[in-house]
Amino acid sequence: MNILLDFLGTTGFATMTSGNLLMIVIGIVFVSLAIIKDYEPLLLLPIGFGMVVGNITSIPSMALGVYDQGSVLHYIYFGVSQGIFPPLIFLGIGAMTDFSTMLANPKLVLLGAAAQIGIFLTLIGALYLGFTPAESGAIGIIGGADGPTAIFLSAKLAPHLLGAIAIAAYSYMALVPVIQPPIMKLLTTRNERLIQMQAPRRANKREKIIFPIVAFLIAALIAPGSIALVGMLFFGNLLKESGVTERLAATARTAMVDIVTILLGFSVGASTQAQTFLNTQSVLIFGLGALSFAIATAGGVLFAKFMNLFLKEKINPLIGAAGVSAVPDSARVVQMVGQQEDPHNFLLMHAMAPNVAGVIGSAIGAGVLWSVLVK
Amino acid sequence: MNELTFNLENIAAGHGYHLAVTGMAIVFVTLMLISLFIRGLPRALELAGHLFPSAEEAHSTVANPVPEDRPELIAAIGFALHKGTQS
Repeated sequence: MNILLDFLGTTGFATMTSGNLLMIVIGIVFVSLAIIKDYEPLLLLPIGFGMVVGNITSIPSMALGVYDQGSVLHYIYFGVSQGIFPPLIFLGIGAMTDFSTMLANPKLVLLGAAAQIGIFLTLIGALYLGFTPAESGAIGIIGGADGPTAIFLSAKLAPHLLGAIAIAAYSYMALVPVIQPPIMKLLTTRNERLIQMQAPRRANKREKIIFPIVAFLIAALIAPGSIALVGMLFFGNLLKESGVTERLAATARTAMVDIVTILLGFSVGASTQAQTFLNTQSVLIFGLGALSFAIATAGGVLFAKFMNLFLKEKINPLIGAAGVSAVPDSARVVQMVGQQEDPHNFLLMHAMAPNVAGVIGSAIGAGVLWSVLVK
Repeated sequence: MNELTFNLENIAAGHGYHLAVTGMAIVFVTLMLISLFIRGLPRALELAGHLFPSAEEAHSTVANPVPEDRPELIAAIGFALHKGTQS
């Protein structure tokens, strides 16, 4: 009888808190959003299920959770806590990214830079709320709208906030179709949304091969902290564009990126144990994250309008919103909002230019913050 | 994290303004340099093509190309070559 009673004391029912229960419900909401609403299912489903798994409690002597030395989840989470998974995901992103539209219309790269204002204004906001400079830098990177970059930087600057920052970044990335359109419509007139842009020229093969090498050198020499992310991004792209390593490129953009996404999403979800996750800091981080997405979107759109003051061939300011990375969702949102005004206006290919520039910009931003704020 | 003291002085104490302006400037300058490089790349490749023509291009350039709209000339050259190989 005692054995049975002892066993019952070790079950999840006996050790679970209301906080764990709340996190399990949130995890199930994430899974539901992924399946029913198709919001970033490749990320939200592993994260959501990881949240459910991570909040099943056990007795302290059993090493089960991500924070328990020696547990299986701890070893999987090692790739997150040491910043190993994000560069591998960037390798896959590089191997699946076509920089053609950016090479065809280089001025659109600046929109990817403008949208990074979300990172730095959020940093100021986090400092105002009382976070330390290193924590503020890690929180600010949510504005880059790039999950792997957010994880990479918070692993370096504020590992204790990694779970909250990662969940905030991926949640808002999934909510890009909800957050961005109202801001885009608010900041543009109907006439601006109707602007049609000329089809870009075709970039040739040599341009595509030379670009990743030189762009890496520029980015890495200015912000060495971005080497791991930018280096893997451009390395993956070179594998794709060189034409001689198609097998490697195919592996990087399919099997490898899928495996890393599964491990990263699941272990990040499992890191949200109520005992460490449910606190005032996490609430503030979620608030700042929403703010940073809104600022980044506004920054891109407003800068596009500013550029139009000097351009003969006007650009549709909606594409500025795609500067917030979140590839390719924010570009899809631009296409969707543009077509609501004019079904014959195809902005997707134009929006891909600031979109991929935003990925580079947020990685450079992370490198700069890491270099300056690392102790 | 410090205690939650919402205060503008926190920003100055953490060098927030300098950090934001400098960080944004570095991101902007880097992407501007990449943009300028992309802009100049087609012209640089064209120039490089003139200065250092690739072996393939160099061999594919015929000194006196036969116009494609002169089939009788092509037939005559073909016949001459054929006779040459027979003799």
